[in-house]
Amino acid sequence: MEQGGVTLPGGQRQTPDCGENHDRLRREALDTIRTLHRKFTAELLSVALFLLVSLAALGDFSFFPSLPPQVRTALGRPPSVNMISALLLVYIFSAIILTLSRMMSGSGSSGGVSHAGYLAGFYGFYHFSGKLPENFWAVFAAGVTILGLESYHLWIYCSEGIERERDLLAHLDSTEQRGR
Amino acid sequence: MFRSLTARAIIPVTVSVTGFVIVCCILLYAIMKTDMTNDVIRYETGQAGIIVKATRYAMLHDDRESLANTIANIGTQEGVEHARIFNKKGLIMFSSTGAEIGRLLDKNAAGCVECHSGPVPTATLGDMKQARRFVNSRGKDVIAITAPIYNEPSCYQAACHVHTAEQKILGTLDIGLSAAPLVHNLAVMQGRMIVFSLMVLLVTIGGVAALLRRYVFLPLKLLVDYTDKAIQGIDQELPPCGTEIDRLGGNIRRIVGELKASRQERTSWNKEE
Repeated sequence: MEQGGVTLPGGQRQTPDCGENHDRLRREALDTIRTLHRKFTAELLSVALFLLVSLAALGDFSFFPSLPPQVRTALGRPPSVNMISALLLVYIFSAIILTLSRMMSGSGSSGGVSHAGYLAGFYGFYHFSGKLPENFWAVFAAGVTILGLESYHLWIYCSEGIERERDLLAHLDSTEQRGR
Repeated sequence: MFRSLTARAIIPVTVSVTGFVIVCCILLYAIMKTDMTNDVIRYETGQAGIIVKATRYAMLHDDRESLANTIANIGTQEGVEHARIFNKKGLIMFSSTGAEIGRLLDKNAAGCVECHSGPVPTATLGDMKQARRFVNSRGKDVIAITAPIYNEPSCYQAACHVHTAEQKILGTLDIGLSAAPLVHNLAVMQGRMIVFSLMVLLVTIGGVAALLRRYVFLPLKLLVDYTDKAIQGIDQELPPCGTEIDRLGGNIRRIVGELKASRQERTSWNKEE
């Protein structure tokens, strides 16, 4: 944490204007808190998006108009169900490893929206191969696992960050009160 | 509660292992269900082929009584829900259920529409396309097979018959077997998979939790107790904590020892003054 001193090239130290420095630190802390709030909200929105897509998939996308035969012909034959299932296994395995490694490194990055997109893709592939009802719960469980793990990681990361920034704000407040 | 060290160590492992095992089990169940259903269909197709071959002689000799008896007897076998032979026009000629003999089948009904969907009926279908699954009027889950009876030289060359060589199919055998054994086997397999998954989860999560408690959380608790008591000035020996935490314990022991020595020094100075 920055303590307010500026180190000059010659190793001499200069005390800056404390009032300005405190204002800057306060602004930065408030910005960081806002960014962390936004980050976690974006993750929650990704979860909500996934739940909406799952709701549509539960009814086998029946409320969407079916694709015209020409489009289906242009798309070609869907991949086999076994191939989609193998890909889903590889996907959930790598996503879990990636999230756990982010937890280990303490990184705050996340792939919330892209995960919702990948999972919607799996629903789509199963739908076009005609095996969505049998495999719906597999994709849903994969989504709940990946997004649950990511949300938990982000919740811890953001709440710790916010707590740190609030501590800094409290410290700045007490320093200012002592200064008066 | 969810931000404690224990929760942070256990929750990610629990969620990862549980989610992965559940997805694996659902996918495995879906694959095995498809494989088992396909096996039943292949078995039924084989049965239908045997029936067609077994009745071939009676058909060649136009022995309708023998044919009717054969079909009726097949229908009495346990697990056979229906057996019938209908001609090219869809008229039921022989059936295990006497009441439906002479009834005309709808070409758009399940089992017929697969061949009759286009203007020219399809003469050959794969095993899986010949099969259909439905709940019959008695409320039983049935997997049925329609096997075409093809025109052969011995059919159109026989003196007693009127079939021309151009006719590809003379009729169709339709046999429906109960899907109850398949449903039962799937339910047993599902139950075993659930028990197996629960055991895997229990062993994995329980093992991780127990090891973490033994090697991390308990030594940390001992260190916390030790430092708390040292702050209060209570004398206490620090028990061995194990490996890396033991090193940390050693360092804390040294700091506490120095703290104690400086306290004693201060007390003796106070007394001297």
